[in-house]
Amino acid sequence: MFKHILLPTDGSPLSDTAVEKGIDFAKSIQAKVTGLCVVPKEYPTYYEAEIPGGFMDKAAEECKANAKVQLAALTKVAQGAEVACDVVLETTDQPYEAIIEVAEQKGCDLIMMASHGRRGVGALLLGSETQKVLTHSKIPVLVYR
Amino acid sequence: MFRNILLPTDGSPLSEAAMRKGIQFAKAIDARVTGFCVIPKLRYSSYESELAPEFKKQAAAAVLSEVNKNLLAIEKAAKEAGVACETVKETSDQPYEAIIEAAQKKQCDLIIMASHGRRGVQGVLLGSETQKVLTHSKIPVLVYR
Repeated sequence: MFKHILLPTDGSPLSDTAVEKGIDFAKSIQAKVTGLCVVPKEYPTYYEAEIPGGFMDKAAEECKANAKVQLAALTKVAQGAEVACDVVLETTDQPYEAIIEVAEQKGCDLIMMASHGRRGVGALLLGSETQKVLTHSKIPVLVYR
Repeated sequence: MFRNILLPTDGSPLSEAAMRKGIQFAKAIDARVTGFCVIPKLRYSSYESELAPEFKKQAAAAVLSEVNKNLLAIEKAAKEAGVACETVKETSDQPYEAIIEAAQKKQCDLIIMASHGRRGVQGVLLGSETQKVLTHSKIPVLVYR
């Protein structure tokens, strides 16, 4: 039924769990997966002039490197489970928009994500990006806690 | 992977569409479904004592008949698809609590529901009960728009 599942991740523990479960699920229904990691754009702050030159670039590079590590981990899990896998790295300040855009571009028919990511507040609220994806996505979303 | 899927419905068009997709999904992965509908408690105004008892009885009967109709629609759709199905109804003022309790009681491992139900404002927000189920459920939730 579902042929291509988008697995957005931010590398947080809950998101890792959702990735693992997503890959298990993809295997059980013989679907392929696309891993997605969104990197925030570098922020010019109010005190930008005071920040040593090169710092912003370095921070952006570190973010990207970190995202690549997460996507490599995802690829490894998928390979271990013999699930066809593709990964995408996007740079944007609106992760939910990137999630929906990539899902549409890649022709995904399901998005699987954790109820909370890095900014999660335990059982109190639904994570903000998950909330926004649920509100704006036309593609079904499976939410793992 | 998923064996027993809870399909909560309130009889609204979106909820019925999600129910039908849920049954297709159950068929594809060889799972069974548990149809669920909440019987809302009827609240009357502060003039309750002035209301004819006959009127209250009629109102309750009308609600119950609507609930039974919703559940029957699930049974029928499941039967047509050759998916094993049972149905449950529960009286409650908090549909989301009743949904989560029913899922736990019936040992469902997935809840499939629409992004909006009867009170939905499409495209603007996530439906309020769906939102609450997502916030409180420990069981994964698949949301259809």
